[in-house]
Amino acid sequence: MNAYAFYLATILIYAAVDAMACLALNTEFGFAGISNFGFIIFQSAGAYTAAVLSMPRAATSNGGFQSYVLGWNLPWPFPWIGAAIVGGLLALPFVFLVGKRLRGDFAAVGLLVSAVLLNVLVKDFVPFLNGAAGVSIVPAPFQSIWNPQGLAYQFAYGGVAIVLTVIVYFLLKRITESPYGRSLRAMRDNDIVADSLGKNLRQNRTSMLVLGGAIAGLSGAILVGFISLWAPGAWGYAETIVFFAAIIVGGAGNHKGAILGAILVPVGFEEITRYIPPLANPSLVPSLQWVAIGLLIVLFLWFRPDGILPERRRILSGTPIPPPPPPTETSEEIDNEVLVKIGNVDELNFRHLLRLKDLKNDGRVILSTRGLTKSFNDVTVVSDVSFDILQGRVTGLIGPNGAGKSTTLAMLAGTLPSSGGTITYEGEDITSLASYKRANRGLVRTFQLASEFKKLTVLENLVSAIPNQSGDSFWGSLQGRRKWGSEDKANIERAEEVLDGFGLAQYADAYAGGLSGGQRRLVEIMRALLAEPKVLLLDEPMAGVHPNLAHKIGDQLTRMARDGMTILMVEHELSLMDAFCDPVIVLAEGRVLAQGTMSELRKNTEVVEAYLVG
Amino acid sequence: MPSFGFGLVTAAVLAIATVGFTMQFAVTNVLNLAYGSIMINSAFVAYYANVHGVTAWASLPFGVVTGSVASYALNRFVFTPFQRRNRAPITVVIVALGVDLIGTFGLQAIVGGSYVSYRQSLGHEYHILGMFLSGLQLIILAISVVVLFTIHWLLRYTRLGKAMRATSANPNLARNSGVKTQFIISTTWLISGALCGLAGVVFAMNTGVFEATSAQLYIVLLLAAMFLGGPGEPYGAMFGALVIGLSTEISAAYVNPQYKEVIAFVVLLGMLTFRPYGIFGSEKTL
Repeated sequence: MNAYAFYLATILIYAAVDAMACLALNTEFGFAGISNFGFIIFQSAGAYTAAVLSMPRAATSNGGFQSYVLGWNLPWPFPWIGAAIVGGLLALPFVFLVGKRLRGDFAAVGLLVSAVLLNVLVKDFVPFLNGAAGVSIVPAPFQSIWNPQGLAYQFAYGGVAIVLTVIVYFLLKRITESPYGRSLRAMRDNDIVADSLGKNLRQNRTSMLVLGGAIAGLSGAILVGFISLWAPGAWGYAETIVFFAAIIVGGAGNHKGAILGAILVPVGFEEITRYIPPLANPSLVPSLQWVAIGLLIVLFLWFRPDGILPERRRILSGTPIPPPPPPTETSEEIDNEVLVKIGNVDELNFRHLLRLKDLKNDGRVILSTRGLTKSFNDVTVVSDVSFDILQGRVTGLIGPNGAGKSTTLAMLAGTLPSSGGTITYEGEDITSLASYKRANRGLVRTFQLASEFKKLTVLENLVSAIPNQSGDSFWGSLQGRRKWGSEDKANIERAEEVLDGFGLAQYADAYAGGLSGGQRRLVEIMRALLAEPKVLLLDEPMAGVHPNLAHKIGDQLTRMARDGMTILMVEHELSLMDAFCDPVIVLAEGRVLAQGTMSELRKNTEVVEAYLVG
Repeated sequence: MPSFGFGLVTAAVLAIATVGFTMQFAVTNVLNLAYGSIMINSAFVAYYANVHGVTAWASLPFGVVTGSVASYALNRFVFTPFQRRNRAPITVVIVALGVDLIGTFGLQAIVGGSYVSYRQSLGHEYHILGMFLSGLQLIILAISVVVLFTIHWLLRYTRLGKAMRATSANPNLARNSGVKTQFIISTTWLISGALCGLAGVVFAMNTGVFEATSAQLYIVLLLAAMFLGGPGEPYGAMFGALVIGLSTEISAAYVNPQYKEVIAFVVLLGMLTFRPYGIFGSEKTL
């Protein structure tokens, strides 16, 4: 009976430690979209820290057969606190890998390789943490209260581990279910777009790596306090893959899924293999265990990519009607017919909705470029482009394919760095200002390609763009609903009003990724408007949108411009240019060819030729 | 100068491997982290041919064919289906990690955990320019030079090579311009897989003794060499392999040899941080 009880207690402790680690990794990977392939080093850092903080000085311990740093002999809980701190701090060197410039998979291999090399270094450099043998005889944390050999100790330890895991669960839930969590998921779905809406990618990712690292460190501390030894063999880089397998099986982006995955994969696998009788080849079972982990990953990603407990869809709107099954094909024309009837976009009071009250239309130069140039290696795509955008105007930007329109727009928004020239916004040189900062100052862009946050609902897409949300920061999210609840409710209502105006109210709670092409364009326009832009940069906003609706939206944009919003629009559809844009800038082969009203441009033979020839 | 000689041989093996790795990235945009497992599987197939009476050098083609077929199959039956479902690049990389575990430990389950080596002599020792090189090492160097020149010729002077470069630069544009991109991608995986298999066998020969997990950490060197020259750039890969191969072995002569991979690690993180598109690569590769 006693043996079973011991076994049960052991399992409980392992389950709690693995669940805590999986919760942390899932927050990084499933919510914030950071593929931390080096996760195991954070857990390991915590384990080592807790060990050397609680162990006596190396020279005095057990005849000095181990060599390690520190050895402060601290009582509980200080080693555990230290473990969490070191786990969090370990994230800081990786800040360089998680900015906007580096592809997610490149950052991931950077972390993977770091894990491999740190393991080699710790193993080979014995004075640091006793090399390959690792640190052992780590003091049991509560031995002053209970006898570590007794059953009471085992269950008390398991209890502490479970309580801490539950605290972590609620802490992470508080963060991920806040407006900040919404931003994290937006960043996960499309980081470049989140950046263009004012989200600071590097800061958000760093916060999540530090938080995840601290929790992983704590889990390592709990583990080492129980098993009392920690060596490089226990934290090979492949251990991270086990945690990834757990999250993929359980369900990325779902905290309960992470816990379920932790119980099924690391705990379950370890335990099941205990019952396999020893075979002739002693390495067979461990080898097959790894093969099984590999198979789990591949098969789950293929057959059930969302895991056993998929990410929950957040229902924000009051509309109880489930969304109609979104069309699979991008039959844009057809479903826009419906929209034209339903949408009352011309009745919306955008001035109120977009908080344009304090914006004055004084017609000054708000955005200008001088000698703006972009080269990729030897190819110059935009060369020496200079123009002024006047406040309160809808300026058009046209030109044949490959003229550099989108590139120019991307440089204005900061999505692409320019190779030469200057950009001035509101009298200030912003040439080298980060794009999210430009967005926060009211310079907002849309994208030519689909850029919705796929696994956010339509309403979430819209709300995520609203600036200055008090719950949209790490600390804000920690303060809970009392801090941001009523404000968020107001934001949701505001977004619903816009959504209703564009005739998409019935899709409020549908995943944006399931909409048709034309609908997604609309979501993007609405989202950009809710970002409260002073200058709105639109890249082919009406592509795939029904012409009638396009004209209604154009009317609204003109009205907003009259109220003080400035718009720069790239568009191929010349009838829209005729109707709404004044002036129009013509780009051809990376240069400004002409500028003026459409009727002036139509008389310009050079322009006409560029279009016909190009 | 003995370490220079070792470095040269390490670089020669690494160059074959990295060129294959980077070609796969170029045409399919996948960081194939299962590359090392295919290398070691190829080495073992050649080893079993060797054990069954084929001479070590004659067993090379067995390894090459294994690498080629396995890589082709991996792309055709695993990576491509995932990409068709529009899975994010990171998903495919995670899949590659899973395949790496299956490949490496599946092999270990079959062959066991013990070390083996080819039945082959190291040959005479030659003393050239202050370097001591065995006959085996000289042959590895020669193979590498021949293979790299063949790749150079293929990429520069054949229609296939041009189509490969076009597919790598812009697959959609290449397809619209009449390049059979599917065929080109398949061919690239067959060729790069052959390089992977070849690299696996010469790596195992150069190491002397090897077992199922011997190539597991090789991915660090591969990634460092590739990122140094720019991801997807075959010539960059050759350059990167030379730098990484030489610097790891030369540094091993001066500091503790157990830390020799550290320089590769530092190079890789430095490149990822400051120039992820490589020394020669362009921003657009991203």
